[in-house]
This record gives sequence, structure tokens and C-alpha cells, in this order.
Amino acid sequence: MKLRDFILRRMILAIPVIFGVLVITWFLAFQVGDPAAMYINENTPQSAIESIRKAHGLDEPPHIQFILYLTNLFQGNWGESTSTSFRPVLEVIALKFPATIELAMLAMFFAIILGIPLGIISATKKDTVVDHFTRVFSLAGVSMPIFWFALMLKYVFYYQLAIMGLPHLPGSFRYDDLMFPDFKYTTGFLLFDSIVFEHNPRLFLDALAHLAMPAFCLGYLTLAIITRMMRSSMLEVMREDYITLARSKGLSERVVIYKHALRNALIPTVTVIGLAFGGLMTGAVLTETIFSWPGLGTWAARAILNSDLAAINGFTLLVALIFVTSNLIVDLVYGTLDPRIRYG
Amino acid sequence: MADTKDLVLEVHGLKTNFYTYEGVVKALDGVELFLRRGDTMGLVGETGCGKSVTARSILRLVEPPGRVEEGEILFREIDPKTGEVNAVDILQLDEDEMLHIRGGKIAIVFQDPSTFPNPVFRIGDQIAEVILLHQDMKHDVLEMKINKLERILNMNPPPVNVSEIVAHLEQLRSMRGNPPEPDEKAKKKAAKWRAIEMLKLVRMPSPESVVNQYPHELSGGMRQRALIAMALACNPSILICDEATTALDVTVQAQVLNLLNQLKKEIGTSIIIITHDMGVVAETCNWVAVMYAGTTVETCATDELFANPLHPYTEGLLHAVPKLHEERERLPQIPGSVPNLIHPPSGCRFHPRCDFATEICKTEKPKLEEVQPDHWVACHHPRI
Repeated sequence: MKLRDFILRRMILAIPVIFGVLVITWFLAFQVGDPAAMYINENTPQSAIESIRKAHGLDEPPHIQFILYLTNLFQGNWGESTSTSFRPVLEVIALKFPATIELAMLAMFFAIILGIPLGIISATKKDTVVDHFTRVFSLAGVSMPIFWFALMLKYVFYYQLAIMGLPHLPGSFRYDDLMFPDFKYTTGFLLFDSIVFEHNPRLFLDALAHLAMPAFCLGYLTLAIITRMMRSSMLEVMREDYITLARSKGLSERVVIYKHALRNALIPTVTVIGLAFGGLMTGAVLTETIFSWPGLGTWAARAILNSDLAAINGFTLLVALIFVTSNLIVDLVYGTLDPRIRYG
Repeated sequence: MADTKDLVLEVHGLKTNFYTYEGVVKALDGVELFLRRGDTMGLVGETGCGKSVTARSILRLVEPPGRVEEGEILFREIDPKTGEVNAVDILQLDEDEMLHIRGGKIAIVFQDPSTFPNPVFRIGDQIAEVILLHQDMKHDVLEMKINKLERILNMNPPPVNVSEIVAHLEQLRSMRGNPPEPDEKAKKKAAKWRAIEMLKLVRMPSPESVVNQYPHELSGGMRQRALIAMALACNPSILICDEATTALDVTVQAQVLNLLNQLKKEIGTSIIIITHDMGVVAETCNWVAVMYAGTTVETCATDELFANPLHPYTEGLLHAVPKLHEERERLPQIPGSVPNLIHPPSGCRFHPRCDFATEICKTEKPKLEEVQPDHWVACHHPRI
């Protein structure tokens, strides 16, 4: 009951946030260019341009246009993506979303699975070789720009290995369509589809190989952030009195660290994980573009290049929704980790 | 100290240093203590004199940059089967053996009840954890079952199948000598049951609900009781209370001290009470050790100390306690302040503040000696 009220209240509070995002992105996009430009070419007669403007409501004053946009939005009409053969934005999102989510999930999975243990080891073996190595590794992660790191990965693991005639990682796309010409997506999640619907382990492995570089590239920043956060909060927690108490009980160091310290140290780390998940969406734009990943990121990047305003607005709205949702999930996880946090 | 068998704990020449950026802090420099079985010893001294470090050194809980440098901490345990006394030097044990002693044989209650319980675990789980760690749960599981059946028998109205329950109860009771090995689930349940029993022992109000509560849901006094319950859960031979009542209200403090005295009788634990409150010492301890700047300066029975202090520092300390029958503008004080332990005074560490200091005090560190029967002092010029 209490939990449901909390979720409900948070969702209501999200409305002004989303509205703010809509106002800002729509008016910014409105300044950028004329949406009608995408529908015409040098041969289009002036009268036809006028009728295109009228058909899309572009002859109305800006505030009316914005209200029109909101009305359409609530009716499930997010506009037409002019750079994707005039298909409805929502349809394109539905088509490309699974590719991005699969990439982001794997990046996140790998960042958490590696980041938390690395942070713990780094903290408990403070000032040793392991710690120094981990710190350099994570500092590199937060300092390197994704686009540069992605190119370097591709240069080494794809280009250099390939010209040396060694087995190399694929550098673009989700799977090899020459090897699997008959494959059709069912849910759009390739790892899932290949096993459940196609019963094809070779396709699964091929998909994994294609995911390896982009997922590592996208996850590295998050991995670095999680490692650093975990290390510092672990160091802080290890100085707390309740750790001394746990030791005074005769608990082994392993239990002290992995039971008494970890649960407390995870609380700030979970916040960072939640925020980073939203960040993965923006990181995906760069990563996907470089690895020709047929996901939302590539689509959004192309939309920006082509002044595809409806697509830009749609993508921004989607990212905002993901941010709000992941923050809500973080707050729920808080409550299970820390009993002092009460919903209400 | 004729018979060492009576001593449950003996500390000799304990030295602990802290390696800080400013230099080496010689926090303990030759601490001498002895605790008789069943005694309550007060460990007194001003802030920073090394009382807490002594307690942590005994449990080997001194954390870097601190390190126990040398000394001997003899812990004498009576073997429950043979009745023989086994002595071990705590500083010579390896870490695994030490885990066995911490919490199981020697337990500690820390100063601040607001920061010591782990905020994210239930009180009951925190108590059960230490029970599961150190106790062989066979007896507890059996006792829990017997206790449950007894409760059913005493219910009103009585149960229908009394004879069956009585027969089952008899069967369980007959197993007391050699209880069967319980499974993990039963152990956990029994540990929780024992946690409730421990909370009852420390007079916790409504223990059945407190076991499922988190530390932040309890008051300071209740949390301190929970910490005491945690420390007493495995019937330790020695309980160290490191300023366990300092953070509490006077009324709660009195309750906790009473409780400790009663528990000592019930469980037979020897207690070390660390405090700077002479009132607490007078009320609860029968033996006292006075510390100054990392050394033991005087140790004797409590009555003897109050009636006949032999060390100039103890004398000064007792003079500084206000007395009801005297009227004074200002309490007498010991001149000077606690020495810097990075560069401690040479010889007797008290000599710069001492009215009776002579040349020898500056050069030679006095040894703790029995100058009167059962009254030890570390001073070149004891106030006899």
C-alpha cells in the first residue's frame, strides 16, 4: 500500500519534469530549422509548399504548434521521422529500441559485474599493486572520450588483427547477415531471439562477438565510475564503528567485508548506477555511430544531421523517460538496502 | 598476587604505538593489569591516557596505523570438562584462533550506541550472528523445543493431547546429556530464540518485537542494551565495557550499571569497566587500575584506592572529585596537561606535573611494585 502510494506519487512528480523536457527540446528544435524543408525539393512549386505547411500545422503561431505537438503526443503520434522514409517516430523507436537496450544492458551488466568487485578489492587492498592498477584503469575509463576509445578498440581488435590474418572481433552491425541470410527478428533482442526462436547457438555466439566491442566501449566509462565510487565508499565504510563491532564479534575478515561493509557501501554506488544508466543512452549515440549499430543512437545521430526534428524530439523524450524511470528504480532499491529509508 | 590460577587476565609490559605523519605516538608504554575471576575492575584515567587502546589491544583490534609492539596478554580459561586452567598469550595466537576468542571468550561493549550497531541489519540478526558463530547450537535447539512444549502445556485452556506432549517432553529432556545434531534451519531458529532470551536478560522492553527492529528504531539506552546483549550472547569469560555508559543519561546509566552487576552474578563473567567517572568506579568495581599517559600507575582494591591512594597522580585525581560535605570555591586540580605522546617525558611520565618529583623520576621509569599488601604502585616516592 505504502509502496504503491510512493510509486504513484513519484510518477506524478515526474510529469513536470517531462513537461519541462518537452518545452525545452521542442522550442530549441523550433529555432533550428524549418520542418517543411524535408518535404520539398528544388522542383516543388510554391503553392505545394504552402499546402505542406498547412497540412502539418506549420502556418500556426509557435504556441499553437506546441499545443498541437502535445496533443499528438498523447494520441500516440510522435510525428514522422523524415530521415527514415517518413515513418512514424514511435514505430521507428519500437523497431530500433531493442538493439540499443540489448547493448546498454550488456554494457551495464559488465560494468556492475566487474566494477563492484574491483572497487571492493581496490579498497581492501589499498595502496598495493592491485589498487594502483585498478585506480589507473578506472581513471583511464573516466578520462577517455568514448569516440576516441571506440576507434582505438576498432583499430586494434578489428583492423590490426584482421590485417595480421588473426581471428578478430567484428567491427560493425549486430550479426553477420551473409552467414545468417534467413534470420528475421521476433522480439528484436538478438541474444534472446537466437536461442528461443531460432534455436541457433552459432547465431547467438556471432551476436555476442558483435556485441563485445561496443558493449565494452559503452560500459567502460560506467565501469570506471562504479569502481571509483565503490572504492571510496568502501574505504569510508571500513572506518565506521560498526565494522569494529563486527570484528570484535570474531567474524572473519571476509564476512566483515562482504556482509557488514558491502551492504552499507552499496548505497551510494546504487545512486551512481542509476544515473549512469541514463548516461548510457547518450553514450550509445557515439558508440552506435562508430560501430554502425542499428539502434536508436545511430538513428538519433542521423536525425540531427538531417534536421529531423520529430525524431530528435522523440529521442530526447525517450531518454528523459528512461532517466526518470531509472531514478525511481534506484529509490526503490535504496529502500531494500537501507532500512532507515522509508517511503512516504 | 600469589595464585595466578585466580587470574583470568594478566597484561604485562604492553606497548602499542601509532605511526602517524607527525611521528610515532607511544600510546601504551608498559601497561600492567590483572583481573581476578569474577571481579569487576575499573580502568580509570583521563581522556587520551590509553584506556580504550588497552581494551582494543587485548582483543587485537588495534587498526593501522596502530600496532601492538610488545608485551604479554595472558588469558586463563578453565576447561569445562577437566577443570584445568589453560593459559594462552593472546599476542602469540594466529588470526584464526583469535577469531575464536573475540566475541566468544572476551567480548567488548563500545562507547557510542548510536554508531556501533550496523544500521542495515536487524537487532536480532546481529545478536544471532555472534551466537551462530561461537556456539555449538545442539543444546540451544533442544532447549528451544523443550521450552516451546512447556509453554504449550502451561497454556490456558490446556491442550487436548497433554499425555502425548508430556511423553514427547520427557523424551526431549532425556536427550539433554547428548543432544542430536540439528540442521541449519533449526540452528538459525534457535539462535533467534536465544537472541530474544538475551534481550530479556538485559531487561529490554518487548524483546519479541525488538529482535525484528533496526537500530535506528531504538533509543540510545535500548541500543546500548542490545550491544550488551550481543557481547554477552556467548557467555564470555571477560566482558570489557569501553565507556559503555558515558553516552547515556544518568538514569539509564544507573540502570545499565545495575544490570551489569546482576549479570555478573547470573553468568559469572569478569568485567573490565573503562571509565573516567570515579563515581561509576566506586559504585560498581571492587578492583581498580589507574592509568596515566599509557602506563598503569596504581592498582588495588577500590575501597583501598579511595581511602589510601599512594600515587601522586591518583591522589590528585581523587582530590579533583567534588565532595558533598565540603564547601569550596574551586576544586583542586593537577597542574599542567596530558603529555604529548610523540615526545613523552623521560623517566616517569608524570614527573613534569608531580609535586614530589626528584632527579631519579626524570631518568628512570618506575616499575609497578607491591608496596603494601595487594596494593601496587609505579612510583619512586609513593605517598605512604
